[in-house]
Amino acid sequence: MTDCLLTEKKALFSDGANTELRLQRNRNRRVSFLNGNPVGNVRTETKGVSARVYADGVYGFASMAEDSCEAVESVLRAASENAAFLSRHAGRGKGMLPPLAPGKLDTALALNDVEQRRYIEYAKEVDEYIKKTYPDLLSRSVVLSADSIEKQIVVSNGTDSCSSLPRSYVYLFLTGETKDGRPVELFDVVGGFGTFDVNFKSPADCFPTVDKLYRRLREKCEGVYPEAGEKTVILGGILSGMLAHEAVGHTVEADLVLAGSVAAHSLGKRVASEKITMVDFAHTALGERVPLPIYSDDEGTPATDAMLIQEGILTGYMNSRETAEHFGMTPTGNARAFLFSDEPLIRMRNTAILPGSDKLEEMIASVEDGYYFLDTNNGQADTTGEFMFGVTGGYEIKKGKLGRAILDTTISGVAFEMLKTVDMVSDRMVWASSGMCGKKQPMPVGMGGPALRCRVTVGGR
Amino acid sequence: MEELKKTAKEALEALKKEGADRAKCDVGESVTHEFNVDGGNFSLFRTLFDRHLILTAIKDGKKGTVRQNRYDAETVKEAAKSCLETAASAQADEAWDIAPLTENRDFEDGVPTPDLDRLFFRCKELMEDIGKRFPKVLMEQMIVSHTEEKSVHANTNGVLFSRRQGEYRVSLMFSAHEGEKTSSFFGSDFVTDSLEKPFLSCGSVKKDLSDAEKQIETVGVNGKFEGVMILTPSCLTEFLYYTLENFAGEGALLSGTSPWKGKIGEKVASEELTLSVNPFDPRIVGGERVTSDGFPAENYDLIRDGVLLNFMASLYGEKKLGVKRAPNSSGNFVLRPGDKSLEELIASVEKGILVGRFSGGEPSSNGDFSGVAKNSFLIEKGKLAGALSETMISGNLADMLKRISGISDTPVVNGDTALPYVAFEGITVSGK
Repeated sequence: MTDCLLTEKKALFSDGANTELRLQRNRNRRVSFLNGNPVGNVRTETKGVSARVYADGVYGFASMAEDSCEAVESVLRAASENAAFLSRHAGRGKGMLPPLAPGKLDTALALNDVEQRRYIEYAKEVDEYIKKTYPDLLSRSVVLSADSIEKQIVVSNGTDSCSSLPRSYVYLFLTGETKDGRPVELFDVVGGFGTFDVNFKSPADCFPTVDKLYRRLREKCEGVYPEAGEKTVILGGILSGMLAHEAVGHTVEADLVLAGSVAAHSLGKRVASEKITMVDFAHTALGERVPLPIYSDDEGTPATDAMLIQEGILTGYMNSRETAEHFGMTPTGNARAFLFSDEPLIRMRNTAILPGSDKLEEMIASVEDGYYFLDTNNGQADTTGEFMFGVTGGYEIKKGKLGRAILDTTISGVAFEMLKTVDMVSDRMVWASSGMCGKKQPMPVGMGGPALRCRVTVGGR
Repeated sequence: MEELKKTAKEALEALKKEGADRAKCDVGESVTHEFNVDGGNFSLFRTLFDRHLILTAIKDGKKGTVRQNRYDAETVKEAAKSCLETAASAQADEAWDIAPLTENRDFEDGVPTPDLDRLFFRCKELMEDIGKRFPKVLMEQMIVSHTEEKSVHANTNGVLFSRRQGEYRVSLMFSAHEGEKTSSFFGSDFVTDSLEKPFLSCGSVKKDLSDAEKQIETVGVNGKFEGVMILTPSCLTEFLYYTLENFAGEGALLSGTSPWKGKIGEKVASEELTLSVNPFDPRIVGGERVTSDGFPAENYDLIRDGVLLNFMASLYGEKKLGVKRAPNSSGNFVLRPGDKSLEELIASVEKGILVGRFSGGEPSSNGDFSGVAKNSFLIEKGKLAGALSETMISGNLADMLKRISGISDTPVVNGDTALPYVAFEGITVSGK
């Protein structure tokens, strides 16, 4: 995409309104094998232009699946008309948003659009390895997915930007059987930021993950249902990242705070033990690039870290420019849209609980009777902070030692109560970035955390 | 529409020229107008002009699909080339096929042209009605839209369908508040082709808002018990999706994990259960007219009197697994009502739970599920005994269907489905 098209159109922006103009392309390449059957082989691309106009406290938005000069002018006109319509019927008598310093940022990467043949060959080789090495599986599935978001944004005031966000992953799903013939599943994922050719050199790179997954699946086939009730557990990093994102992160998105989330009444208060510090990172965490780096958002705000919980005290929200003005906070670049036809919403970027100083082995040794939960396939939370995570893998802990594997269960609690029970935090953190967060629109997000020792309610059976 | 048909024909020609043995094309355009309320205030009015082009080619048993959101001549040409390249690199599977020519038709239904002033009036009226009748409710988000879509499906067997359709969709997410106390968030959705009625009287909106106000104060369950679970129609939809995906879906059949494999004609549920998928039901708005494979859609019974009659298989599933293809690929579920009012259904429960929303992990392929019962009420001795918090439910989807203890007599119609309340025995309910 070239940037001359949009920059020239700034001359058409209305005075007295905040205008954003965005040209965007999303790509997804996906290949799926189920028991060796090629059930998916799709290349998807969406591209278009959109404009959003803020005036009188309301937004008008329009998008078009084209990138011509005429389309740019059409969406600018339609967005202004829509803002005027809403202003007439429901205007709020507000002026422009507080201005941002002008800037220009180009972090776009040259993305190699890998041929479909390479995805298929890779998936087939991984599938054949699984079939040959582990013939006793009930079923197997290998899914390769590579997606990218490329944006070019110009704004009335703030940072004009060009950016790209490529991800690529191999998802592995294995199914075995318990002694009484019930299917048992486990999955793992390999990959992260970057195009497929950068992240995946050889199918053999995935084999160790397959081997480990199979070993754990066999253990799970012999597994037991956890006992229901409130238990002392160690949540692995994938689960603490999920906790950071689902149970806390959403409640401190400022639009959900305005919609009545539990965090509306908790700013400046203790919501977790002093061992908990939680940040929504923009692009760098602990000296390293985060899984999905964001340098500037879709409203022209340069992206900086949002401190959410500092040593157990709720210190901030994630904001758009509009909500930052409302709460008297500084916007940190959280307004992002998924497709060209989506408006920017307040979204998390790379939300994580920071590591502590405890050793995982010591944490496990400290539990008399509990569980070590490792894997999840699903997480949901309420604006009250009440959360539920599906747990698909883990182990019993008996007298400080890992015991039998567990079958699927659910854990639940109220985030700001459960986080107060955290009394040990491991010194190593784990990041995940392969999923999509859902909030009107999907969005790639990173989440991470260390292992936490805490009390949660286990669903059991 | 003629332009779309012409584009589809040109795309098929381009695919054949690139070497496709068989091919299909979906092409269309849509205009969406959408009003948003956030945090109780009107916040956004947006207009989306969108297009789609989906090309699928089969060559030597190898299939490839390409999706684009434009259909100008150059894009069509490039997409056809890319589609064949994608197919060429695939693995052959003789089960891939396209629909045969039956009867080509042009469909027009719903309300293709929106009345935006009237639509906005209904939105504003709903916000005012809620303010007056449910003052504790805060509208977290309301999304009200109208979409007009023109689409064409064509394939190289001569199949050519077109459709022009429009509908209004309303999606509400809200919670109730009193001081610092708050209910869980709750949702209510419906689709309609008419703006004659106030939105408050559509779907289950009024009851859902009323329930939210009753869920500010909650009670907990002490320990655990096995009892009856009554699912609201919206929560039943979610359980039906889980059940059918795990037991009747093509993925579960292909992977061999479905416990219903080979059970067509056998009893899989209580005799009270007759579950149909009926896009042509007059209560359904914008129901499917052409399946994703390109067959004319038809209503069908999935389970009749507890007996499994169909899987939700596609043409690929039919050829691959030797099972019958489902006559439509929609989720327009219609469940045969029972003979009790909701009040009688509740009165018949000694101890149980009325579940409005399920916040749970994806059920296992064997049907085991567990999760939090949200927006739910405890039932004791035939009466609602308070809204619940921190309460988990668990059970097995296959067992549940065999233990239906009652179905309400009046379905809730939301334009997508027509479902009554259903009571299931043998559910484990546990508190802290």
